[in-house]
Amino acid sequence: MQISSSLLENAVNEFARLPGIGKKTALRLVLHLIKQNPEEVQRFSETIDKMKKEIAFCTVCHNISDSAVCNICSNPSRKKETICVVENIRDVIAIESTQQFSGLYHVLGGIISPLDGVGPDQLNIETLVNRVQQGSIHEIIFALSPNIQGDTTIYYIQKKLQPYNVVITTIARGISFGGELEYADELTLGRSLQNRMPVEKYVSH
Amino acid sequence: MLILDNISLFQFRNYHSGSFSFSKNIIGFCGKNGSGKTNLLDAIYYLCFTKSYFNKPDAQNTSHGKTGFRIEGNLKKSGTPYKVVCVVRENGKKEFSVDGEIYTKFAAHIGRFPCVMIAPDDVAIITEASDERRKFIDYTISQLDLDYLHNLINYNKLLQQRNSLLKQAAEQGKMDETLFQVISAQLIQNGNLIFKKRQEFCRDFIPMIIALYNEIAKSNEKLSINYISNLESNTFENILKENRTKDLALQRTTKGVHRDDLEFKIDGGSFKSLASQGQRKSLLFALKLAEYETLLQHKGFPPLMLLDDIFEKLDEDRMHNLLSRVCVRNQGQIFITDTHCDRLNEALKRLDVQYQLFNL
Repeated sequence: MQISSSLLENAVNEFARLPGIGKKTALRLVLHLIKQNPEEVQRFSETIDKMKKEIAFCTVCHNISDSAVCNICSNPSRKKETICVVENIRDVIAIESTQQFSGLYHVLGGIISPLDGVGPDQLNIETLVNRVQQGSIHEIIFALSPNIQGDTTIYYIQKKLQPYNVVITTIARGISFGGELEYADELTLGRSLQNRMPVEKYVSH
Repeated sequence: MLILDNISLFQFRNYHSGSFSFSKNIIGFCGKNGSGKTNLLDAIYYLCFTKSYFNKPDAQNTSHGKTGFRIEGNLKKSGTPYKVVCVVRENGKKEFSVDGEIYTKFAAHIGRFPCVMIAPDDVAIITEASDERRKFIDYTISQLDLDYLHNLINYNKLLQQRNSLLKQAAEQGKMDETLFQVISAQLIQNGNLIFKKRQEFCRDFIPMIIALYNEIAKSNEKLSINYISNLESNTFENILKENRTKDLALQRTTKGVHRDDLEFKIDGGSFKSLASQGQRKSLLFALKLAEYETLLQHKGFPPLMLLDDIFEKLDEDRMHNLLSRVCVRNQGQIFITDTHCDRLNEALKRLDVQYQLFNL
């Protein structure tokens, strides 16, 4: 791409470093910013600058936060006895969007895979054990990806939590909502049959 | 009934583009060395297994100097048509679809269109290391039992995780004991399922191989076959415990179902060192025919049979017996290659069934 101004070129290159943004999209964004009032562009860059400088991770659950404790952990109406363990912040957003969960979270920051160099020490597991140790937790719900590394992580944490009196559960695995039975893969369908549930517990909305 | 009606190739090995229609149950391909006979069989194999029979990476299957290829086949199973398409894109990404529906996991395709291939190098199953024999057994069971394939994939992933943990332990001088136990327990669970399935499978499969061998070899030597596994004499859990020190020293898992083997013996001695070339060929055909028969029994229809260059391997009578077993008795479709068109024509004529011959 031939760009006459080096100022423009630098800006384009910076935008193009973002995930999912190519050179052409970057150019479009930059040209758009050039057309804006200086105040608007300043607000834009200041917002991003401030976001990066002031963003914090919750010291309790490692979720993204504006202060030392995130607004989920500090919300008095949330049930403090239940913790949902997730892999990353995107999972928190996904589960929050369901509006079905009113407990607290714990963000691990990944799942255990020694092959990829991720051991328990790299993850926020010790802080989870500490939270349980304090004694007010009744249930830990694992909401991790249903694969082997996910299972390894669940079993590992379960072992670490063995000394404490806490119920450990995992989200259900099976046929997805709105899915057609005939298109479900055999493994999922087989699991769904093995872990079938009594109809009286089957609450439809 | 499983029938391949036609296949089209684009930039697959030496085919820039080509299309073949099949209207009979016996299809012969003849032509000189390098004319593309084996490539055509491998393309059919691709449609059944989503990959090459010859363990070549996808990129190496593209025509020279090109990127990407496409194989499309129309198959009919009990009268229902299926369109199977395998595309490797310019960026090397592979897409595999049946009737336009793209697979997210290729493993789900295995066994839908069963197929047995016999190629000259297959004698490695008998002469080479145990991984060839495990591969043979695994490919056969996987076509029958999707759960087995999943267990196998999980086992191999967990084995890698465990070995990488052993390696880290050696490098860093410390080991997360809990994690090691968790991964070992997951490995044990999958390993036990694999062992049970292999044992159960071999109970029927081994007598079938021996019966077929005696039929093909027509001789009096006594062939015996044993499934051998570390798990026979002890539980997997104990085995891992006992070998802990050794595993740590060697930085890998030394015992488990990934060391299983099939042991061939002839008159009590090792088949590998005692058997003649002819006996090896007979055993190879017995193994492959047993796979064919097992698939036929379980699926209720004969799998596709791909025979690559086997005239060099069998005399005329045995060849005739094999062909009549597959195409006349079982009504299965068979694809066969040879360098000599006349020889192939003669052999097919003798069968007294309709056939198609392509001169490549």
